Amino acid sequence: MTLNIKHDQEWSEGFLKRIEGDGPWANWELYKLALEAEESVTIPDFLGLQAPKHIPHVQVLPHQLEVARTVIEDMNGKGILADEVGLGKTIEAGLIAKEYMIRGLAKKILILVPASLVLQWTHELTSKFLIPAVPQRKSYVWEQFDVVVSSIDTAKRSPHREIVLEQDYDLIIIDEAHKLKNKKTKNYDFVQRLKKKYCLLLTATPIQNKIEEVFNLVSLLKPGHLGNEEYFDEAYRSGRYNVQNEEKLKQLINKVMVRNRREDTGLKWPKRFVKTIPITLSPAERELYESITEVKKDQSTVLQHSFSTITLQREVCSSREAAFLTLKAMSEREETNSAIRETSLYLMRKIENVDRNSKAEKALELIKNIDGKVIIFTEYRATQLYLQWYLQQHGISSVPFRGGFKRNKKDWMTQLFKNHAKVLIATEAGGEGINLQFCQHIINYDLPWNPMRIEQRIGRVHRIGQEQDVHIYNFATENTIEEHILKLLYEKINLFESVIGNLDEILTKVGMKNIEQHIRQIFYESDSDGEIRIKMENLTSMLKHSDDEGDSYAAERHS
Amino acid sequence: MLQKDIHSFLDRFFIANECEILERHEHLLNVQLTIELDKLLMNRPFYWHYLEKTGGVPNPMQLKLRTEQPDESEKDGEFIHFGSPRLHQIFQSSQQLAPYIRLFEQVEQTLGSFTPLVPWLGLNIKVSYQCDRKKEFLYSIGLNLINGQMTDQFQTFLDSKSLTPKISDYCYTMSPLIRPMSGIKRVEQYIDSVIEQDDPQWAIDARKRWAEDEELLEHFYQDVEDKPEYYHVEKSALKELYEPTVYVKIINGGMFYLSDQKMILH
Repeated sequence: MTLNIKHDQEWSEGFLKRIEGDGPWANWELYKLALEAEESVTIPDFLGLQAPKHIPHVQVLPHQLEVARTVIEDMNGKGILADEVGLGKTIEAGLIAKEYMIRGLAKKILILVPASLVLQWTHELTSKFLIPAVPQRKSYVWEQFDVVVSSIDTAKRSPHREIVLEQDYDLIIIDEAHKLKNKKTKNYDFVQRLKKKYCLLLTATPIQNKIEEVFNLVSLLKPGHLGNEEYFDEAYRSGRYNVQNEEKLKQLINKVMVRNRREDTGLKWPKRFVKTIPITLSPAERELYESITEVKKDQSTVLQHSFSTITLQREVCSSREAAFLTLKAMSEREETNSAIRETSLYLMRKIENVDRNSKAEKALELIKNIDGKVIIFTEYRATQLYLQWYLQQHGISSVPFRGGFKRNKKDWMTQLFKNHAKVLIATEAGGEGINLQFCQHIINYDLPWNPMRIEQRIGRVHRIGQEQDVHIYNFATENTIEEHILKLLYEKINLFESVIGNLDEILTKVGMKNIEQHIRQIFYESDSDGEIRIKMENLTSMLKHSDDEGDSYAAERHS
Repeated sequence: MLQKDIHSFLDRFFIANECEILERHEHLLNVQLTIELDKLLMNRPFYWHYLEKTGGVPNPMQLKLRTEQPDESEKDGEFIHFGSPRLHQIFQSSQQLAPYIRLFEQVEQTLGSFTPLVPWLGLNIKVSYQCDRKKEFLYSIGLNLINGQMTDQFQTFLDSKSLTPKISDYCYTMSPLIRPMSGIKRVEQYIDSVIEQDDPQWAIDARKRWAEDEELLEHFYQDVEDKPEYYHVEKSALKELYEPTVYVKIINGGMFYLSDQKMILH
């Protein structure tokens, strides 16, 4: 075989000049050092990982090393990293990037992540991997720096788009890649146009809903791997959600995807202790709740559709402050008709009668009996503010935490919590992108309707690095919509007890990507508690049934 | 490189650059940089530009490097390990500072006679086998510019000699019969022949991976009449990724005038 051999002529040209000019000549010791330096960075083999010895300060776990090795050696640097939440996909991507950089195989690297994670990614790459990554801020960054972290929304827009598409990237990393499952979107089109040599797609939920989403994701990474669209439909598709020739499809997907489950990692996970704390509403609170239920039953008005009774019921279960804000906004909205305005004002007056918060009282009691730190998760900012005030009234220091905080504010709040405060009160989005392993107690003050969000909440604490058992307290107000959700859904599917890694796939299988919407519908359309119960039971058994089948496309790589 | 090797490398590097060592322990070096090294390592071009404009007194910085993970009490000093950007910056500096060399063998003078020194071209060469993977080799080749004799592991041979930048008294250099440029060509040809005799399995495998991916790509677009631009982009990306190529780069090298000795071609 004739090989393409390229000789670098730069040295020779300089050498001639030195001969003609009789120097300058190097110092012998430095000459030897230069050679020793080169020896130390010479890559001894095609296979194996050089990166770990470059980052001695990072504890890389065995499954992360294995993912990096697999992607580089078995997938030629094109892979979907699909570990479950909390197993360190960022570390794996960082390792792979580092390896290619050390080997001189990747210089120009583009990392596309959600806007809220740009600074976090930059921080991880620079501090853990010593990769000089910069966050995209100005349009000249694309050309001037080799490793850029940006949001896909920025990158795909003019004037950035044109510059980005012109760059010769060696490696492209895309976080939250499941957002690229629809090939009709601008994001998909943009990523398709990018020149991809090495490419990593990161997602905890590679298969969400329809079978064609898998096809789209894989085709982005490696067009043709699953055939073209026509072939794919014919070979694997059977209806909207169903698959034929599943074994073969799984095998093919596993050639471009690595997925570890928590139980595969061989790591010892701390236990979860889950306790449901029933809350009895005070008479005034109960009256408020029932007033809202009445409104809901009022068929005569147009209230039904425009009036978010379910939202209000959920809010009342959290705090009167949360409900008040919603009502106030409703009454002030311009298009609001008089009926709605009156109802809002009527309910606002009811709120004024509420003189205590039964949940907050329970929370206080609980916190006083817990030795360590506590995280309270709530869906509502109004509740968050109220709780902070309430706890302070009782001599308990707390720090707030929201997803919207800037990176360094998040770090600062985490530090404050760690060193100075007993309680951290986080709103929903606050759950993402931060590690709180030093805490073992979580209060789910109110419950989101999407089980994945529960898992993310718990995942902040119950993750790699947590050395003690984790305690989860679920607050449920008796005889309310909240209790329904907890008792009829979450407890039935053992959401809190088990590490429910494949929940995402279960939801996918039953075609219930938007479970929240589904539950909402059950509550809206049911005329009685009995009906709600039956429908929820149906939902539960559907989820459990899918779980028992227990199969998924990616599950068997390591089994 | 182990931590102790890194320490010794740094120590030798700063001494070779005539920096004053202010403090030296088993795992610590505190050095006063020279102006030249400050410019190379400290990344403050504006300071030096300003100083040259205003004619101020230059004040090069000190650098404190630790080769052991510092504990809480020792907050000052940079921790240097094999992956440190600082270490790689110093590696690169050493190469920037020493690309070309000329040395003469120091010869015990025998009374009344003159010793001829034979010109050798010495080249340290890095060969990289590259596809989507990479493997590298270092060669140190010496070429006798009088008789064309070539030897491997020339650097090791040189290490056994006593060499100086100035020619010893009563020594003279012989004029090369092979000009340095054709010498470089000969070494390059030799390297080519070594590469061609090497097992090509890595390149065969890479081409196979390339062909497989390209076949998939063609299949993907087989029914599309007007191929979209990203088909072509993807195709050229595959070529860049997989095409086996060998890069040959001279790290450093120069002229070595050595007393005449028979050398064995390896």
